[in-house]
Amino acid sequence: MKKLFLIGWRTLTKPSGYYSLGALVIGGFIAGIIFWGGFNTALEVTNTEEFCISCHEMENNVYEELKPTIHFTNRSGVRATCPDCHVPHKWTDKIARKMQASKEVWGTIFGTINTREKFLVHRKRLAQNEWTRLKANDSLECRNCHNFDYMDFTEQSERAAYQHSTALASGEKTCIDCHKGIAHHLPNMEGVEGW
Amino acid sequence: MKKFNLAVIASLLVLAVSPSLYSLAAYATDKETINTPATLRDHTPIMTQKEPNQIPKVVNKDIKQGRNYPMQPPVIPHTIRGYEVNTMNNKCMSCHSRHRTEKSQAPMVSVTHYMDRDGNFLADVSPRRYFCNQCHVTQVDAEPLVENTFTDMNSLMKKKTIKTESH
Amino acid sequence: MTINRREFIKANAIAAAAAVAGVSVPAMASNLITSSDITKLKWDKAPCRFCGTGCSVNVGVMDGKVVATHGDIKSPVNKGLNCVKGYFLSKIMYGKDRLTQPLLRMSNGKYDKQGEFTPISWDQAFDVMAEKAKTTLTENGPEAVGMFGSGQWTVQEGYAAVKLMKAGFRTNNIDPNARHCMASAVGGFMRTFGIDEPMGCYDDLEAADAFVLWGSNMAEMHPILWTRLTDRRLSAPHVKVAILSTFEHRSFDLADNGMVFTPQTDLAILNYIANYIIQTDRVNTEFVNKHTNFRLGETDIGYGLRPEHPLEQVAKNNGKTAGSSTPISFNEYAKFVSTYTAEYTAKLSGVPEHKLKALAELYADPKVKVTSFWTMGFNQHTRGVWANNLVYNIHLLTGKISTPGNSPFSLTGQPSACGTAREVGTFSHRLPADMVVTNPKHRATAEKIWGLPEGTVPPKPGYHAALQNRMLKDGKLNFYWVQCNNNMQAAANINEEVYPGYRNPKNFVVVSDPYPTVTAQAADLILPTAMWVEKEGVYGNAERRTQSWYQMVESPEGAKSDLWQLVEFSKRLKVEDVWPEELIAKKAGVRGKTLFDVLYKDSAVGKFSLDEIPEDRLNDDARDFGFYIQKGLFEEYATFGRGHAHDLAPYDTYHKERGLRWPVVDGKETQWRFKEGSDPYAKKGSNWDFYGNKDGRANIFALPYEPPAESPDEEYDLWLSTGRVLEHWHSGSMTQRVPELYKSMPDALVYMHPDDAKKRGMRRGDLVKLISRRGEVQTRVETRGRNKPPKGLVYMPWFDASRLVNKVTLDATDPLSKQTDYKKCAIKIEKV
Repeated sequence: MKKLFLIGWRTLTKPSGYYSLGALVIGGFIAGIIFWGGFNTALEVTNTEEFCISCHEMENNVYEELKPTIHFTNRSGVRATCPDCHVPHKWTDKIARKMQASKEVWGTIFGTINTREKFLVHRKRLAQNEWTRLKANDSLECRNCHNFDYMDFTEQSERAAYQHSTALASGEKTCIDCHKGIAHHLPNMEGVEGW
Repeated sequence: MKKFNLAVIASLLVLAVSPSLYSLAAYATDKETINTPATLRDHTPIMTQKEPNQIPKVVNKDIKQGRNYPMQPPVIPHTIRGYEVNTMNNKCMSCHSRHRTEKSQAPMVSVTHYMDRDGNFLADVSPRRYFCNQCHVTQVDAEPLVENTFTDMNSLMKKKTIKTESH
Repeated sequence: MTINRREFIKANAIAAAAAVAGVSVPAMASNLITSSDITKLKWDKAPCRFCGTGCSVNVGVMDGKVVATHGDIKSPVNKGLNCVKGYFLSKIMYGKDRLTQPLLRMSNGKYDKQGEFTPISWDQAFDVMAEKAKTTLTENGPEAVGMFGSGQWTVQEGYAAVKLMKAGFRTNNIDPNARHCMASAVGGFMRTFGIDEPMGCYDDLEAADAFVLWGSNMAEMHPILWTRLTDRRLSAPHVKVAILSTFEHRSFDLADNGMVFTPQTDLAILNYIANYIIQTDRVNTEFVNKHTNFRLGETDIGYGLRPEHPLEQVAKNNGKTAGSSTPISFNEYAKFVSTYTAEYTAKLSGVPEHKLKALAELYADPKVKVTSFWTMGFNQHTRGVWANNLVYNIHLLTGKISTPGNSPFSLTGQPSACGTAREVGTFSHRLPADMVVTNPKHRATAEKIWGLPEGTVPPKPGYHAALQNRMLKDGKLNFYWVQCNNNMQAAANINEEVYPGYRNPKNFVVVSDPYPTVTAQAADLILPTAMWVEKEGVYGNAERRTQSWYQMVESPEGAKSDLWQLVEFSKRLKVEDVWPEELIAKKAGVRGKTLFDVLYKDSAVGKFSLDEIPEDRLNDDARDFGFYIQKGLFEEYATFGRGHAHDLAPYDTYHKERGLRWPVVDGKETQWRFKEGSDPYAKKGSNWDFYGNKDGRANIFALPYEPPAESPDEEYDLWLSTGRVLEHWHSGSMTQRVPELYKSMPDALVYMHPDDAKKRGMRRGDLVKLISRRGEVQTRVETRGRNKPPKGLVYMPWFDASRLVNKVTLDATDPLSKQTDYKKCAIKIEKV
């Protein structure tokens, strides 16, 4: 085993005696594109709703809950898919989130939330993770679509316009402070600020 | 009110038997009111169906609607789409409970809501009042099918005060 | 808001003007009216007009109008609360289209079935009715006369109607709309206990450790009982709530264990629980040995359709033997239910095994006091009586019955389905106090109390609700009177089995109603009717509580109560018109008299004078007839039940009390029946005494799962369930006329799973047709409303007069109870 590894290592570290440098550079470049592209494509596949709900934990719980909400069906048909809210758009953040996701893979394999009852037991912790993340990034994933600068308060209900023009405008509050549970059912909110 | 009913019926009768008057109130015969008295069906014969209207929108103007009498539960002047009231949460109370109204500026639930079955005041809203929608409902933007002639006690009192005055 | 302000300004302007004129306005203190002469309201109690919960409300009257209502703080039922419908009771009598004159279909001044509705006087209306009734009797006999009544009739109205039909016309063709509502519950009680109505009471709500809802959406249909259940669940955290339904609804918001099962498989789940109790060795052997029998019921009993229907052709026992059973041993019973394993039941019902087990454990655990509630999910079921029997089985196996918190509790839909339909016996087979027309002793008892000759009451059961409609269509029921219900909207299969009968030229159909309903639209004669506190009456609720109320306001001029209509009409018929000579000969004194004399005035009904009515009380009916008719009817009726475990208190007592639960013995009401110490009828030393059955034992029935009458197939690929909503009472004839209620729930939509809609290219708000083998109805799609059906099932409420969902439903009934199954039929949905 060790021998085999050493042979492989030597081959890789030895200068090439056969291919031209140009071929190697170009070949490497192309291979890089292919690998990088492949990696990203694969990554993007995991960033689709289809992928998310291919696990029944997601399909039967959070996705089913999403269906009647305004983030799924609304007047203009602009709908949010799972990654829109739950996967950061910036590459570094995205990779960081994907590394965290290894825990979810673990969860899937060992069935941490494979029944509704189990899911509900963990719901508060899971929700709090998302609230904390959104609070920390000033509700970045909300703001990817709901840009404060372009809100027309006159088109909002009086209550909404008041809150948005004061608490949100001053930065005292961020979206997630008030808009919890807008896409999925809430956990027990005992002790949560604002409840 | 009774007179009005009779007048309508009588006039319809006249219309039915005397075509010369037909043009005076053609709107009524258009609906075939005489043979089909079902007001909630807009006078549509039983074996046919009028095309259902669009689903009306919930009024979301936050403007308080008057109450018919003091004990009437106020109607909800805003949408409640997605509001959860279940064993885990009561979304309504996140604005209307006593300790939230200062922030929300929403009306506080009435004091009766703190009373248990025997009339004792509890430290928080009584669980018997937990499901708000049992008494409080939203309103849609639609015209009632039939007018209601309910009399507000205020108007009756006004009449009496005016009477007292004239004596 | 602006109106109020304007009114304020106006009032201030008047005050100012008065001041200038030098006149003082004594009633005004600044801008408030404070003089008690003016602000005082006359308050009185009445039971709510709507559901079977039987809340008491305080009704505020000013200047002859109801101006306010609120929940009665003194009532043990609701303790000051009302639901949203109850809070708007003040407005139900004031729809602008209240009927005030009889309307007869006429052409050229004469009755014509195809004519146009024309106002006539009450005299003319009764003339036509009497003529039509007499012609029918002469041509086709008493079996061609019929009446469809109501669980919303007062006790007195139901009783007066029973007398008029069963003794006057000598026909048993009288049935209440309660047949649609709780006939299966009655069947269940009679079969298991030999006596009708719940043994428990609402106090169980504060005593139970667990609640199981079987096909009951209490959050919407019994809101005040739901407040009590919620109160218990949330204030005592150990309490568990299990909810079973064929779709997710509002009650699931409180569920600890919510279960959505495939329609009809509740039968299997019930047997599974029994099996679980036996398998885990938790049978209360002492109780079972002392107080129960085991019986094997007849199976393959058909679906209550017309005999020529293919399903009836293949059913083996759909005849008279359908309800029969044979004794078996406990071991045979245990073997019978042993096939209902968790695995089999989970597969059949679609409910996961662990949920079924958690449910069964609530019943099996001897430490848990459990109350089961059910309403239309069980009762509107082609095996409704079975479902009732099966839930009693599990309470009886564990001995969890008739003690506080241990209660199999059948909830009632209508305000007096218990009081009027069941206790008075306005069914086609019944007489008061659980007696039946087929029993000669029972008929003799009735004839004796009524002071009528032997043989007056006919022995053959009459046409029940669904059969009445079929007989109307077939031209065998020709004089038909509908009171206090809206059956053209409520009955199943309108196209094939309801509308044709009403419009059959052979028939004359009279409809009494305060408002022009769909049923009135199909009538030949419409009678304008006084309602609720425009008359005096008594209602009986689901916990055996009898409640009375006084007349508080005048009805609109021209509108008359159902009671007045029945009794006044009886003046138009002479005994000779309705009885054969040989019957009259048995009691010569009745010769030449009217039915009014014989049935009401000269009987015990006419015994109480007008002096007994407090002078300041309205009572238009009594004062019109010249005697206290409501008291007379009540007292005569009460003699049926006194001493027979249906004891009622003296009439006047009910005007003082917030209702009493029968049997009322020595002035004391009964909370838990069949339990020694609580029920005065339970024998000493018996501990439990199921005295409805001769041997004092309750029956545990072995009954299997059998499939529904119609299930989805390739073409009709969806289940349709129908039902009610919180904001409207039944067909909406009262509540749709209250603007606030109308605007809270204006239209009946079809509730669909979003994926089912998507699969058919539909979305919320789309105009669609629900199509069955029998008809179609148009409505709009709702994919995110309060009801969340599973894929493959849709739900549409029936309150909407403009969208008659019963054009689609199937008129299959439970062959035992004759109650229609409104919860299961197969449909397809297409875009319009």
